[in-house]
Amino acid sequence: MSPRTRELGFLIPAALVGLLGTASVANAQSRTLGSGALTIVGVVIGLFVLMHIALRLRTPFADPYLLPIVATITALGMVTLYRINPVLAREQVLWLGVATAVFIVVLACLPDHHVFEQYRYLCGLAAVALLVITMIFGTDISGAKLWIRLPGGQSLQPSELTKILLVLFLAGYLRDKRELLAVPTRRIAGIALPPVAVLGPVLLLVGACLGVLGLLNDFGTPLLYFGVFISMLYIASGRGSYVVASLTCLVVGALAIWAVIPHVHTRVDAWLHPFSDAQGQGYQIVQSLYALANAGLIGPGWGQGFLIGPNGNYVVPVLDTDFIFTAYAAELGFIGAMALLCLFVVLVARGLTIAAQAPDGYSKLLAAGLATTLGLQGFVIIGGIVRVIPLTGVTLPFMSYGGSSVVTNFAIIAMLLIISHRSRAPFRPRVPRALRANAQQQIDSLDG
Amino acid sequence: MNKSIRRLFWVLSGGFVLLACVLGYWQVIHASAIDNRPGNPQTIQRTLLVARGAILASDGSKLAVSVASNQQGQRVYQRTYPNGTFAPQTIGYANTVQGMTGLEDSQNGYLTGDYGAQSLLGKLGLRARRGANVTTTLNVAAQEIANRDLAGKQGAVIALDPRTGAVLVMASSPGFDLSQVGTNFSHIIAQPGGPLLNRTVQGRYPPGSTFKVVTATAALESGLFTPMSMFDDTGSVLASGQLLHNFNNEQFGPNNLTQALTFSINTTFAKVGIALGSQTLGTTMNAFGFGRAPSVDLPAGTVFPSGRVSGNTVLSNTQSGEDVARIAIGQEQLLVTPLQMALVSGGIANNGLIMNPYLVHTITDSSGSVVFTHHTSVYSRATSPQIAAEVNTMMRNVVKEGTGTAAALSGLDVAGKTGTAQTSTNGLYDAWFIGFAPAQAPRVAVAVIVENSPLTGGVVSAPIARDVMQSILTGGN
Repeated sequence: MSPRTRELGFLIPAALVGLLGTASVANAQSRTLGSGALTIVGVVIGLFVLMHIALRLRTPFADPYLLPIVATITALGMVTLYRINPVLAREQVLWLGVATAVFIVVLACLPDHHVFEQYRYLCGLAAVALLVITMIFGTDISGAKLWIRLPGGQSLQPSELTKILLVLFLAGYLRDKRELLAVPTRRIAGIALPPVAVLGPVLLLVGACLGVLGLLNDFGTPLLYFGVFISMLYIASGRGSYVVASLTCLVVGALAIWAVIPHVHTRVDAWLHPFSDAQGQGYQIVQSLYALANAGLIGPGWGQGFLIGPNGNYVVPVLDTDFIFTAYAAELGFIGAMALLCLFVVLVARGLTIAAQAPDGYSKLLAAGLATTLGLQGFVIIGGIVRVIPLTGVTLPFMSYGGSSVVTNFAIIAMLLIISHRSRAPFRPRVPRALRANAQQQIDSLDG
Repeated sequence: MNKSIRRLFWVLSGGFVLLACVLGYWQVIHASAIDNRPGNPQTIQRTLLVARGAILASDGSKLAVSVASNQQGQRVYQRTYPNGTFAPQTIGYANTVQGMTGLEDSQNGYLTGDYGAQSLLGKLGLRARRGANVTTTLNVAAQEIANRDLAGKQGAVIALDPRTGAVLVMASSPGFDLSQVGTNFSHIIAQPGGPLLNRTVQGRYPPGSTFKVVTATAALESGLFTPMSMFDDTGSVLASGQLLHNFNNEQFGPNNLTQALTFSINTTFAKVGIALGSQTLGTTMNAFGFGRAPSVDLPAGTVFPSGRVSGNTVLSNTQSGEDVARIAIGQEQLLVTPLQMALVSGGIANNGLIMNPYLVHTITDSSGSVVFTHHTSVYSRATSPQIAAEVNTMMRNVVKEGTGTAAALSGLDVAGKTGTAQTSTNGLYDAWFIGFAPAQAPRVAVAVIVENSPLTGGVVSAPIARDVMQSILTGGN
């Protein structure tokens, strides 16, 4: 069975999840399963079929599991969004259409991801530039200055694109300095450190990202960037001591930010003691915990939880973006949430498998960086919701409402699939017809 | 590099396992503690999703029902009270803001379907719970007559079937409309007189002369006195260093114990009290259930015990060194609930046996099968059948020719005792009547209190008792 046929087979359960989920919401909400809901399901299925066709044409040997996993998470996200806000669900279908277009364009126009290797510093500069632009022109939405308003009411979240640029930069840069990184030149307190000349620019760039984001008042994205940086540094160097050193920097940096910026105090308090200010700083997290606890082991089922108040407002603020996981787990319970967590683990596993199968260091670093980005982003937002770490405002990949996030994440999947295709395609050298005929003649003469 | 990639995968997976563990803590292990946090809107909402059972009067008429409505695409249930002023304190309310009271509170498990062995589907929450219907013992006609007679007054009426303990009437005035609780609660609690107070079980009043029934029983129990024991009333008795007078300073001259009860002669009962001592009188009080409180199927702690009350504590009935002469006439820190006095009356009526009072007769599930039936039980043996019969006869005299003639019913023998206890305001009394009928084979025992009345129990409360008893006896209950 070809990888693409296998992929098509695994897309069927994803489509069923979407269809049955939507029917379940319609049933619970005592609405009929009208043409509107079926149109959403149909269009989403159609978009994935388009992606599948593009993969058949451009990357026939790419990993067959990645797209079905993404399709399943998207189906769960769309049903959850449709349950809490049908209008937003329809808008999200449009964004999914844009994401599909970007996905196909990436597949069509990027035959070889190695082109980015030579533009690594450009990527790094672009990442910083995007963040500076956000800092200057950004709009404050729910406490973090992460959006740029576009004429026409839409807003863009540049930090989503930044994460791809950062991975592209790090993959190129770390591949370049890999040999130097592997040889420590000095030790401080028993921890091996690479040459300053090598690590300096990297730390500078990452520090710049963190600084800028600290000013943008969002802590989830820096956490995500730092995590991706540490992961890629570890893969490039194979040295745990670098991870320890970086984590030490992170903790020291975090403590410094905590000491300097008073805003962080309230956030940390809301993390550690949400119930002591349940109507103020802790409101979101407390309402979210109430909704999660109410669901219990198996949950009341889609459409049967208490997520929308009598006045039509969300019971938990920003339920459609930051707290989409709460909206999901509050109705499907712990078992449903476990299924979603497993999907993310499998997504990361496939991404890292692609990295492991890649033939060269750059591809490995790029694929691992992209896969880690998706996994860590899921960890950061869900971890914030279940109070493992302070709550941050990053989106849950493929589930949260929002255009920037879904477009970027599908671009990431497209790049992973290109890398996968190139490493799995059988080697077929292009031999000119004349040469081939000549060889055939020689073989024939040997027989004779 | 692949080794590092593999290790990275294990670290990331470990992160997700950590998330799963912590999520399991919130959603499963610690969930009930979060559910029970005050003000949790999820828990409040969950109560709206249950089709709460109905509360019915003894004739099946609806006192509290749930009506389905649609809220944001979800079916929720709204509690409505078709006759919200019928017995508001007894029925109670179940409200997400004000909480729960009365039978709505005490029967919440049955009303929400949370009782008995749950099926596996029910345990997993896959099958909607359906509440069971609670049929009470309340008699519609009699309760409404009690409400009518109490209108404009502060007071309470309680009527029991002395043979079973079934509470037929539980009326407390001022009342309120249960259907206004959700929308107009601040207005209700601003009303004078404390409408939320269930005076039948929570109002504590000096019993006054109604307590002489207890003293008379103790006197006969002791063997020192008979209904014919003679006394001489000179208008006052010296007790604990202070003179004790009759009501309105009347003077009765020679009298026997029956006459003393009939005309409520304080000096005679004071002498009896002194002769008995607090030990003997206290033992009879214990036998009548003073110092304890039955549940009457109401929420725990909402039925107050009666007895000698100091501050918030009920003192021992048999404590020595007390002013037993004044206890014997229902004074001296004695505070009683109307329920307790109805139990005294019912004990005499039922040959000395006080039955456990109850409000819940049967509970049937949504399919109509009975899931609970009250079984009558003895609350206390107050006295022997012989002495109960003697006190019964003495109490009949009260209605026939004494202070309680206003309670008389044509064609029936009524037994009773009036009480007119002084309040802190001069000239205003807590006016009592306790009694039962028909005296030969009692089917109803009552206690009536009207607060701050310028008139005596025989004038104000006895007619209310008569109306309620008549309604019950003619209603065929």
